[in-house]
Amino acid sequence: MRTRTVILSVVLLALLVSTLFPLYWMVATSVRGEGAVIKKAVELWPESPTLTNYVDVWKSGPFARYFLNSVVVSALVVLGNMLFASMVGYGIARREFRGKRLLTVGVVSMLMVPRQITMIPLYLLISKFRMIDSYFALTLPFLVDAFNVFLISQYMTSLPTELEDAARVDGAGDMSIFFRIVLPLSRPALAVVGINTFLVNWNSFLYPLILTNSERMRTLPVGLALYSQGEHSVDWGHLTAGSTVCALPIIVVFLLFQRHIIEGLTAGSSK
Amino acid sequence: MTLRARSNPRPIHSGRSTLTFLSPWLVSFGLFWLFPLAFSLVLSFMEFNPLRPDLARFVGLANFGAAVGDPLFWTSLRNTLVFVVGTVPVTTLIAFFLAVALNRKIPFRSFYRAGFFVPSIVSVVVISIVFKQLYSPAGLVNKVVELFGGDPRSWLGEPGTALLSIMAMDVWSSFGYYTILFLAGLQGIPPELYEAAVLDGSGFWGTLRFVTVPMLRPITLFVVVINTIRSFQIFIEIFVMTRGGPLNSTLTSVFYLYDRAFYRFEMGYASAVGYLLFAVIMAFSFLQMRYLRVGRGAAE
Repeated sequence: MRTRTVILSVVLLALLVSTLFPLYWMVATSVRGEGAVIKKAVELWPESPTLTNYVDVWKSGPFARYFLNSVVVSALVVLGNMLFASMVGYGIARREFRGKRLLTVGVVSMLMVPRQITMIPLYLLISKFRMIDSYFALTLPFLVDAFNVFLISQYMTSLPTELEDAARVDGAGDMSIFFRIVLPLSRPALAVVGINTFLVNWNSFLYPLILTNSERMRTLPVGLALYSQGEHSVDWGHLTAGSTVCALPIIVVFLLFQRHIIEGLTAGSSK
Repeated sequence: MTLRARSNPRPIHSGRSTLTFLSPWLVSFGLFWLFPLAFSLVLSFMEFNPLRPDLARFVGLANFGAAVGDPLFWTSLRNTLVFVVGTVPVTTLIAFFLAVALNRKIPFRSFYRAGFFVPSIVSVVVISIVFKQLYSPAGLVNKVVELFGGDPRSWLGEPGTALLSIMAMDVWSSFGYYTILFLAGLQGIPPELYEAAVLDGSGFWGTLRFVTVPMLRPITLFVVVINTIRSFQIFIEIFVMTRGGPLNSTLTSVFYLYDRAFYRFEMGYASAVGYLLFAVIMAFSFLQMRYLRVGRGAAE
């Protein structure tokens, strides 16, 4: 029995090392200077690490601007979803109204239809509003995600109603009940929604690609992808430095909030 | 609706505040989902170039006819199918067995769980760039191949290996995510079932076959269906690594659609392609649900 555990651990460790190796390789390449790359093509452990590639992409490549855009857009979309998805979730969880079933079907159907069908009309709509290449284009369409509505309404349905009823008897209005009782009680669900929205939005590619057309408005993944197309296509030092800048915030958030992230994943699968 | 004892009747709310709560969704659903969905259906029957909206006209089913008659459309669909059929079963198998292994009492279990998951949260753009370097002629994959006496090649530059290389990358970057889903499913299996299996004298494979696999049927269905839908929409990898080349060997359906819509501005035609692809995805999901559900019925 013990030997079996040891063998299993060795196999898993080997698998884990090979799984994480490409990411290690990314960081290792990014800290190698130009000279080192010419001298020796492959170097498992960088001998004289340097941050010049990072300084380059941050200054000359507009990665500082991409980073700022990604932070602003992600923050707005995360906050928007935490507020709006919980308002809608509350409406679905606590109110009876005509067409409620239809609305629930609508939420689920939003999850079913692939995005490439709605992408062309969305592009035309945003250009009609003259919002292409703006923060509006990058945030407005994504403020109420159907999956988040679904998750929050599930959670709010499971909350006891006594506190809300008591507050109502005491004369509290709808809005103050929502903001002062329901939202604080829903903190666990809000955490899951916020973190998962951040993960999805930070990595979002197709929509930011079609909804922006200037360097100034690109988010990190789009900026990085387009940077890798032209003259920098084999400039691995700078490309891996840009990649690390794009990947690091996500990995840090994941390590900090693992539990919530995994909760969010499994909430979707157990339905 | 859950059953709950209620001493006081449900308070009556004003319809107006209900509307206030629902309004963000009504606006977003209508404007950014229902309208685009309906409009893309209209577009699919039109010739429409956003640079010359004055020339827009109805063409009936001509877009669908043109798509079916375009050999490149079929190339892209074939490549996409190869991608889906080649990656989904492999990813599912790896994720399944890894989850079974991680479900045992081994030291540092949560450390492994987190480690395997990391690649699936990193941006696909980043992963594509990292693998483009690994696959490059002077890259690490070739060094390893040479070490074992093989011939180096341009993995992404040859029609025979480009799609396969991207498929391998996709398996690498996604199995951790499905492992977590399988693990959640495994933790939901009542331990009594395993105890009963041990009492009946069934070994590792017997337990796997008669307890684990049947109990994981619903989560397996979920994993296969969402992975298939995701894989049908493969785009970023192609955009970053090969742009459909060499010789269209990595041209996938969504890249074909994107190229038609945003490079040639044939937005009517691209909408028709989008609906055709949607039909294929729905057919696949339907078949999978049917097939895997029937399987469950037989096991019970």
